[in-house]
Amino acid sequence: MVYPVPIETAITEIESLLSESNCWGIAPSLSKRSIALLILQKDPTLWEILHKYPQQYQAIQKVVNQTQNQFSEPISSAIALSRQQIALNLEEETIIEPIQEKILLSEWWHKLTVYPLTGLPILLLILYLGVYKFVGQFGAGTLVDTIEGFFEEVINPTVNQLTNQLIPWPILQDLIAHDYGIITLGIRYAVAIVLPVVGTYFLMFSLLEDSGYLPRLSLMLDRLFKSIGLSGRAVIPIILGLGCDTMATLVTRTLETKRERLITVFLLALSIPCAAQWGVILGLLSHYPSALMIWGLIIFLIFLVVGYITDKMLPGNKANFYISLPPLRLPIFKNILKKTYLRMKWYFWEIIPIFMFASVLLWLGHLTGLFEVIIQGLQPITKILGLPPQAAPIFLYGFFRRDYGAAGLFDLQHQGFLNGNQLLVAAVVLTLFLPCIAQLQIMLKEQGIKVSLLIVCFVFPFAFSLGYIVNSLLTNLGINL
Amino acid sequence: MNCHQCSTNKQKKCHVSLKYPQNRDKWQEYPLRIALVGMPNVGKSALFNSLTDNYVVVSNYPGTTVEITQGKLQLGSDYFCLIDTPGIYSLVPISEEEKVARNLLLTTSLDLIIHVIDAKNLRHNLSLSLELLEAKLPLILALNMMDEVEDLGLRLNQDLLEKQLGVPVVPIAATEGLGITLLKRRIMLYVTALGLSSSHRDSNYRDRIAII
Repeated sequence: MVYPVPIETAITEIESLLSESNCWGIAPSLSKRSIALLILQKDPTLWEILHKYPQQYQAIQKVVNQTQNQFSEPISSAIALSRQQIALNLEEETIIEPIQEKILLSEWWHKLTVYPLTGLPILLLILYLGVYKFVGQFGAGTLVDTIEGFFEEVINPTVNQLTNQLIPWPILQDLIAHDYGIITLGIRYAVAIVLPVVGTYFLMFSLLEDSGYLPRLSLMLDRLFKSIGLSGRAVIPIILGLGCDTMATLVTRTLETKRERLITVFLLALSIPCAAQWGVILGLLSHYPSALMIWGLIIFLIFLVVGYITDKMLPGNKANFYISLPPLRLPIFKNILKKTYLRMKWYFWEIIPIFMFASVLLWLGHLTGLFEVIIQGLQPITKILGLPPQAAPIFLYGFFRRDYGAAGLFDLQHQGFLNGNQLLVAAVVLTLFLPCIAQLQIMLKEQGIKVSLLIVCFVFPFAFSLGYIVNSLLTNLGINL
Repeated sequence: MNCHQCSTNKQKKCHVSLKYPQNRDKWQEYPLRIALVGMPNVGKSALFNSLTDNYVVVSNYPGTTVEITQGKLQLGSDYFCLIDTPGIYSLVPISEEEKVARNLLLTTSLDLIIHVIDAKNLRHNLSLSLELLEAKLPLILALNMMDEVEDLGLRLNQDLLEKQLGVPVVPIAATEGLGITLLKRRIMLYVTALGLSSSHRDSNYRDRIAII
């Protein structure tokens, strides 16, 4: 393969310069020619290594500058163009096109999903059927009620009875059974409340993933995302975050710039609730449709406003958007099931130990009286938010794990302690509240301790302040949901 | 670190553990390494699933795979370490997950690279092939999504492509399980033809390193 003459000359010169000191060992798997080309394309890693060989560095720098002067565009473009031309020629030689072009049905579907005129209604339809009906009503409603009911009517009483018989000390009984037991609270929360919701979400998400719809959604929402400093590429981690923020934080790696990654991780921590959270909230608020809409609106507005402000405050350039659109494909059922199963398994083994541990902590807290002390401390906060004193434990739970807090909210509502207004306030605060421990871990890994600490210190008071604002507005406007 | 000055047999271990300390047991267990490389969303992970016992997440959008996974590939009675990578558009990386794949290519000596290509889009994908060929990396081209090529009514002159590029070309359809047997056979042919063994590869590698 041959590049324009000036580039070929430069390659030969750089190859000999590298051979001199034997420093082409910097990338031992590659050929000398390849390394020279990478250097010409300003590869940052190789240039950094070149710094260690100051003599060669200067000489090579000179060669590169001289070569660049002979081109009006960057050397990388000239190199890329040559390759593209050869690739194009190869394709024309080896692919035989049919006499008549076949138009596939998927082309028609593609147009429907990408252009906002039809794309937005399709999105709304997916949101309504997939999110509201499937995850909210079926997952968080029917499934949770059924499994929860089973726990309340069959498992819990049996466990209570067995522990009463087998373990003579009430203190130890409380550890496993009764109100705060590992099985009656911890495992019940995990299996009956969180898993059905997360499972239904991942089933729906896998369908969207495999169909090829997500990149098209990225395209359609790119404009909107540009207003908060992100590109359409961030759509995928954010939608994944609606399932599990921990996984989403990991996927922010696919974003091009550090700035984009930072904004996305921040928004994921603050205003993107995970499936366990919003699924449960959806199920609870479905009895108060106006509260549901207000909650959705608040979270969405915070997402936009905070994103916008962060974008303005952070130095740097806006991100570019490029994505290769895969064809729309019919999802393979086996793959969807496998993926959902895998993700649920991962999630399950993550929350079961944590939820059990939480039960143990609560048990200890009750035993030592520490629990009551903390609740007393939280009382003024719940009062300001207009919530009943029984809501105080929810924030303790939420501090530990988002999904645990949501499950606690579910319990509270079913015990009849919250009216419409209070449900809205609690839902808002819990949604905006801290990321869970797993997410924090990944955040620390991806963004470092300074950034993570900053985010946590902002989110905590922000969530409560907003709850206060919502409550004041509701009471002052005399709205009763 | 001057490897030539390392007098003990530790030399072999040094190279192996240079950049990828995780899953080091897999490196030692199956010393022959084959990596799946290609642009995002071409079917590397789908191929990985059909070649190994592992399962990695497969989706229809670019950016699904963000880290490196290893699995065991069995060909006849031989075992290889198969490595799945995030997609890259070129050897010059753009995002974080591209760097992961690129660093693997740069710092680890691989016995074979299976370059997975979207056969519907040769003009786009082949520029990466050209880069890999320039780098003189040991290559087999797996032309994936051949079922979709057929749907479009296109036909591929496989022999001509193989002649022009000078590397084995195997048409496959990973999600349908087509062409996998043929691919395995050509991998075996390649490995035996070059007489590859871990000691052969490592001595080659050693000769190319002076000072790191």
